[in-house]
Amino acid sequence: MARTRFRFVDLRLIAVGLVFVLAWAGIGYRLFRVQGADAAELAQLGFDQRVRHETIQAKRGTIYDRDGIELAVTVYGKALVADPSLVEAPGEAAAILAPIVGVDYVELIQRLEGDGRFTYVARRLESDTVERAREAIESADLIGFWFVEEPLRIYPSGALAAPVIGITRLDDGSGIEGIEAVMETELAGHPGKRVVERDQSGRAIPQAEFLLEPSVAGSDVVLTLDREIQYISETSLQAGIDRSGAFGGSVIVLDIANGEILAMVSLPGFDGSDRSALDPSTLRNRAITDVYEPGSTLKVVTVAAALEEGVIRPDTPFETPNEIEVGDETYSDHGSNPPVMTVSDIVAQSSNVGTIKIQRQLGNEAHYRYLDAFGLGRPASIDFAGESTGRLDHVSEWNNVAAGPSAAIGYGVGATPLQMASVFATLANDGEWVEPHVIAEIVASDGERTITEPRRHRVVSPETARTMRTMLRRVVEDGTGFRADIDEFPVGGKTGTTDKFDVATGKYSDTETIAWFIGIAPIDDPKIVVVVVLDSPSGMIAGGYDMSFGGTSAAPIFAEIAESTLHQLGVSPTHDGDA
Amino acid sequence: MTAGALPRSTARRVGAREQARRRPVVRPLVIFTIAVILAFFAVIYSRISLDRTAFELQRLDREIAVEQELHWDLRVDYARLQAPALITQRAAALGLVYPEDRYTIEISGMADTVGGPEDRWMDLRALFVEQP
Repeated sequence: MARTRFRFVDLRLIAVGLVFVLAWAGIGYRLFRVQGADAAELAQLGFDQRVRHETIQAKRGTIYDRDGIELAVTVYGKALVADPSLVEAPGEAAAILAPIVGVDYVELIQRLEGDGRFTYVARRLESDTVERAREAIESADLIGFWFVEEPLRIYPSGALAAPVIGITRLDDGSGIEGIEAVMETELAGHPGKRVVERDQSGRAIPQAEFLLEPSVAGSDVVLTLDREIQYISETSLQAGIDRSGAFGGSVIVLDIANGEILAMVSLPGFDGSDRSALDPSTLRNRAITDVYEPGSTLKVVTVAAALEEGVIRPDTPFETPNEIEVGDETYSDHGSNPPVMTVSDIVAQSSNVGTIKIQRQLGNEAHYRYLDAFGLGRPASIDFAGESTGRLDHVSEWNNVAAGPSAAIGYGVGATPLQMASVFATLANDGEWVEPHVIAEIVASDGERTITEPRRHRVVSPETARTMRTMLRRVVEDGTGFRADIDEFPVGGKTGTTDKFDVATGKYSDTETIAWFIGIAPIDDPKIVVVVVLDSPSGMIAGGYDMSFGGTSAAPIFAEIAESTLHQLGVSPTHDGDA
Repeated sequence: MTAGALPRSTARRVGAREQARRRPVVRPLVIFTIAVILAFFAVIYSRISLDRTAFELQRLDREIAVEQELHWDLRVDYARLQAPALITQRAAALGLVYPEDRYTIEISGMADTVGGPEDRWMDLRALFVEQP
């Protein structure tokens, strides 16, 4: 018995010993794995869980008007996001959150019932909405919702100058239109990098943060636009479009001395802050992308070139029948002409026949040289993305005998409103072409300023330019542009009306026109050039005048804008009101 | 010549010296231990201070971020309130209209201010200086 008991005890001891040995062996093995074999991998796993490489977003630069008022500014807003796999009751959560954050209840349920692990509940939330949503989430104990910070591009003036300023993407905030796109590199800045250690709750552990590379904020861009003049121009053009039923239109107000664009309007436009109503067709800036035949407004180049070349003088007489044939083409004037007109009369009455006769004396080579020197056929400015070059065939391609005469009266040549503004600004600026521009300066985050220096070159002599201005004054005093006249300032300009060319059919429209008025104000001491273009104006105004003409539809818009702009610029009235 | 016994006083002095020599040297050890303990607490204290300062810096950073956010919110509000469309709308609601008769007041030196905002401010400053 004793031997048996001894054996049993012995066995128990051995069993217990074995258990201990195995347990310690297991612990030892685990220790070996953790501290030895898998040590590097586990250490890396822990490091990865704790340490994160984070990108420090660079603040996007602000776009200002010439007076330092913010036109586009980035602020940091909050977005409410959710992990649908964690949301226990999507219906209940949607019922609580939808009215607070202002999203559709059904749409929110669909998103919360989705398969993904991330969805936006609402973006661009105001701070008070964030607080209310946070309280609702906490009080209802909703799981799977949290807030993330995201940059928001705000346009405080709404739709004002939107086609010029442009717009940014919602996802990465990069510019896709306008100045936002052209100046993307400068505005975006450079993101930085840092290493952060975070605890289980995601809080950064102090003293465990290493800055690898600081972010560099984007540069600020100061535009030449004047917000008040821009507003005046937009409201006047919109009123003109409403009056005439035009499809759209453009306005440019240019400071002639330095080429600064004080206002640039393209209607219909858009509001960059309200993307729900965004129509892609309104994103384009018509003032630089749309090419029109400038019609009679281009006659100033023909006449200025002929004056500069000494071919004509203002009082040179021309026989002016109502029609003239050049090759297979017949050109005619509206109404009946006097048998003889001086150059000054030809400009004032916008005679096609007279202008063609002047061009024939000038010759194609010289005519082309001046069209080129005035800036046609190439982008007028470097400040715009997608600016059209317009259309100016080289003189060697003017094979048709009617090419020169057509160009003389503004047909067969394509120009943007900005190019035509530049032509008239050259005449207003005593014959010196100054590059029109909308970017006044770029201010880097370290304060370094890069001020725009516009290109310049002489096109015609100051004397020719003055003579042309005298003729342009006559257009308003007793010519086709009388509706452009204003009481307080003497102004001059040129009307233009061209049949709209339909690219699809390759034919000119019988009913739709492009109506122009381009004016200089004040004409005796020029400060600004204003271009007004209306796309397909129609209808009648009092007195039975057809609104499809530049003199009836575009000229009154010029008058409104020019008068208000000169007031805004503090230019003293000089006119005695006799016109 | 044999050596005689040392005088009693001398023997006492030698015994005391021997005792002192045999006694363990405690004082430097105590000082060292205290220094180590002090250093240990000093390190802990400085570490805690650093942590506190780091938390304080973090709090200040958050406050700066909040203030900057507020600054930009206010600037956006300011720009929105200055929008010509809003001013026109408010003015119309108040019944303000353009007067039929307008008078032009010419202020010397203000006519040719077509330049940038700095030029205009210079003109305005000059005007303010001239005012009593």
